[in-house]
Amino acid sequence: MMRGTMFDITLPLDRFTLSVRWETEESSLGIFGPSGAGKTTLLEAVAGLRTTTRGLIRVNGQTWLDSARGLCLPPERRGVGYVPQDALLFPHRNVMENLRSGRRRAERASRQVVELDRVLEVLELRDLAGRDVVSLSGGERQRVALGRALCSGPDLLLLDEPLASQDLPLRRRVLPYLFRVREEFALPTLYVSHDATEIKTLSSEVMVLDAGKVRAHGRPDDVFTDPSIFPMTRTEGFENVLHGKVTEAFDSTATVELEPGLRIAIAARDLVVGHEAALAVGAEDLILATQPPSGLSAQNILSGEIREIREMSQVERMGGQVLVAVTLGRHGPPLFATITAQACRRLALRTGMPIFLVGKAHSFRVLATRQPYGGTA
Amino acid sequence: MSSASFVALLISLKVAFWATAVILPPGILLGLLLARGEFRGKTFVETLASLPLVLPPTAIGYLLLVLLARSGPLGELFLGFDLDVLFTWKGAALASSVMALPLVARTARVAFEEVDRRLEGVARTLGLGPVRTFIEITLPLARRGLLAAAVLGFSRALGEFGATIIVAGNIPGKTQTLALAIFSDMQIGHDREALALVALTVVLAFAAIWTVEILLHRRGRAS
Repeated sequence: MMRGTMFDITLPLDRFTLSVRWETEESSLGIFGPSGAGKTTLLEAVAGLRTTTRGLIRVNGQTWLDSARGLCLPPERRGVGYVPQDALLFPHRNVMENLRSGRRRAERASRQVVELDRVLEVLELRDLAGRDVVSLSGGERQRVALGRALCSGPDLLLLDEPLASQDLPLRRRVLPYLFRVREEFALPTLYVSHDATEIKTLSSEVMVLDAGKVRAHGRPDDVFTDPSIFPMTRTEGFENVLHGKVTEAFDSTATVELEPGLRIAIAARDLVVGHEAALAVGAEDLILATQPPSGLSAQNILSGEIREIREMSQVERMGGQVLVAVTLGRHGPPLFATITAQACRRLALRTGMPIFLVGKAHSFRVLATRQPYGGTA
Repeated sequence: MSSASFVALLISLKVAFWATAVILPPGILLGLLLARGEFRGKTFVETLASLPLVLPPTAIGYLLLVLLARSGPLGELFLGFDLDVLFTWKGAALASSVMALPLVARTARVAFEEVDRRLEGVARTLGLGPVRTFIEITLPLARRGLLAAAVLGFSRALGEFGATIIVAGNIPGKTQTLALAIFSDMQIGHDREALALVALTVVLAFAAIWTVEILLHRRGRAS
């Protein structure tokens, strides 16, 4: 059976024609773009809820849509786990009944059945099982909607801005669940979001939609630092997202290893040794040094090499600034640091130059953690 | 309450019950069609279904009389057997049901329109086919509105006069409902009896509308 996911679809809408092509062996695609770009519509088209969609959709070796051959599976035969933006829980059913809504499909499907127990545990829904859905908070509703989708035995998860309707602290509470779901259930996922940090945490690939067309496509780090895309992120600055493993955890500090030998000290409590962690650090919070610095209170002094220097002068909010991509260690992920154009000239920075990156333990924050799959930590 | 009034009350309840039972399935179906259907001539169907609301009830009654007469399209000569509806309580129920149709269909339509169609979409993505989705999601979510449609239909049937008197006559103990009994008592000057019956109808109507209000305005609460 051919694995992977591909779609190549067009869908005429009122203001523009949505036209998207994507093919990958990767399991997770972030979909980013301004509101009204067609992100939700794309998910609906893949789910089979937009009957005027034309083109080709193949998931896991199954053809869902092939207009040329007149084939179009109805939504109930596609096997998607659709989590709409506002959760859309069934108000006449309690949490457990909502979770079980798609069990019939899951049971007759040949695909591996997602255990209800596992979903209850990973999403921490056990205590909510008997609750009425109207009494749930925003974050709880999203978790139930996610659980309902997982329990229906999907081949493809469609997540529509699962964190959008929430304020920042709440979003931070749901993100870890999504992070865990990615590891635990290993399902291909289309993840719509307007938050670059979220996409970097959850996806290794991102597609930027604008007015129904693909504006950019690639690794999140490359796409989001593109001067033509960056302004769309509407964030104060660029935020690096790092993935690693907790190797030490104390009362208020911990060490996270990004790759063998490359460790970062962070100020965080309640971490568990052995767990995977996603960390965020603002590009403005990192300091560059051409000489090994000494006598600093900052705990992280990382040596690396400048991979790229991106002029952001034409970007509003970043005028006069430069994004410097630093490669850490051997295959380490690039880390971006924002410095002024003036500092860049003064240090005579150029690509390929060895460099030191300085970061305070407090500058790194933990986005999400998860127990590695099959791990016992 | 005099025994004659009591009999009229029983006949009224029987007629209204059967009128509701008869008109509910087609009324709900029509409501669904108007809420969800996209077809040519929808406006025509809408208008036709609302006619009993504005036509004189006597006009509807007369149409039914013509249809059901011995030589009419639904009469004995044409069908080969007698439906035995005219001048029986069944005639009263039929006349009332036709008069109740617009209320039932309109209320059912609103009930279906208030169901978020995206919930149905989500149900489809969870593997439920269109029929299952209707039974498991749409109907339960519309149930309050549909119940309200039934109560409104019942109340409308309870108060029906014009069409009933033409199709079923005004036969005490047989087809004389409360509405018809008030008319008779008034005509022969039994003012006290007429007023007592009026009071009775006020109580019934009040209870029915009260029920509808509760059904429609507590929508969305968990039940």
